[in-house]
Amino acid sequence: MSSADGGPLGDAGSTYIESQIIMVTVRVIAPFAFTYGLFLMFHGSGSPGGSFQGGAIIGATVLMIAFAFGIEPTRDWIRNRTVVALAAGGVTAFALVGLVPILLGGNFLEYERYKTELGIEAKYGLEAIEIAGVAPIVAGVIVGLFFLLAAGAMQVSVSEEVSSDE
Amino acid sequence: MISAFEAVLFAFVLTTAVATALLRDILAVIVVFAAYSLGMALFYAFLLAPDVAMTEAAIGAGVTTLLLLLALVKTSRPDLETRFERPNVSALVVFGALFLVLASTLSEFPAVGSAEAPIWDNPAVTQYYIENAYADTHVENAVTAVLAGYRGFDTFGEAVVVFAAGIATLTVLHREVFTRE
Repeated sequence: MSSADGGPLGDAGSTYIESQIIMVTVRVIAPFAFTYGLFLMFHGSGSPGGSFQGGAIIGATVLMIAFAFGIEPTRDWIRNRTVVALAAGGVTAFALVGLVPILLGGNFLEYERYKTELGIEAKYGLEAIEIAGVAPIVAGVIVGLFFLLAAGAMQVSVSEEVSSDE
Repeated sequence: MISAFEAVLFAFVLTTAVATALLRDILAVIVVFAAYSLGMALFYAFLLAPDVAMTEAAIGAGVTTLLLLLALVKTSRPDLETRFERPNVSALVVFGALFLVLASTLSEFPAVGSAEAPIWDNPAVTQYYIENAYADTHVENAVTAVLAGYRGFDTFGEAVVVFAAGIATLTVLHREVFTRE
């Protein structure tokens, strides 16, 4: 859907101004920023940074691309199911890593149970919630918030508002 | 004694902070506020807090600026006759009093990196983590060990709060999808 038809997803694209300088700069920087985000995410246990920072940088890379190449084309490229899978999948993965030790007879997030019952080092439990939990949630929610704010509020008709209040 | 780099950075952060408060044009405020966040990120890096510096640079200077710009696009931007806001006298008096109270505590602060600082010289918390984090979790970054290990349950709560923020925005804007089906 193009921005010109004023559809339910708003007209944020109408303010887009194509700039060669911004597009070339983003084209050069984006792969490095994305790789750095992945590095922080996967290497958070051994160096400064971690999943929150990594996820934020990955999310910010998508925002940067949307800023340079237009919000509407980027919105078509990032499907809703991707954003939902990242955010909801992250919460689910975090909860699962926390709940499995309870099934093994321990406490929530008791990584030592992975070692004693399954022979998995405790540090992989920490890395699992960093990589599969926090980073996808942060990246997904940042991207989701950006596109939601760009689209603005859905127009709700007055009669619908009244009937929903009753 | 502070270095020349610190002095320049301090002047930069102070100038951008005052400009953020006094400028009238909202677009100018957003740009100056982003510069302020970048200055603070450099400050955190200089104070050996790289995790906080990365967060400030990515969230404070990057994402927040873009979200504020998006909000500005959705609203009107009036033509202004004056460049700076005229400060409210009573607000200035309150601010001055608060500044004096806070400034009076400055002399009691330990020096940066001091081994006697309470946050460092603390056998029950800080020193415990430094001594036991690697043995307990086999993770080299003690910050990660605290966040994902010792304070894992808190981090789960925080992660759910971030998730809830996304869902709450969907609800407030009467939408069912983040991007497109």
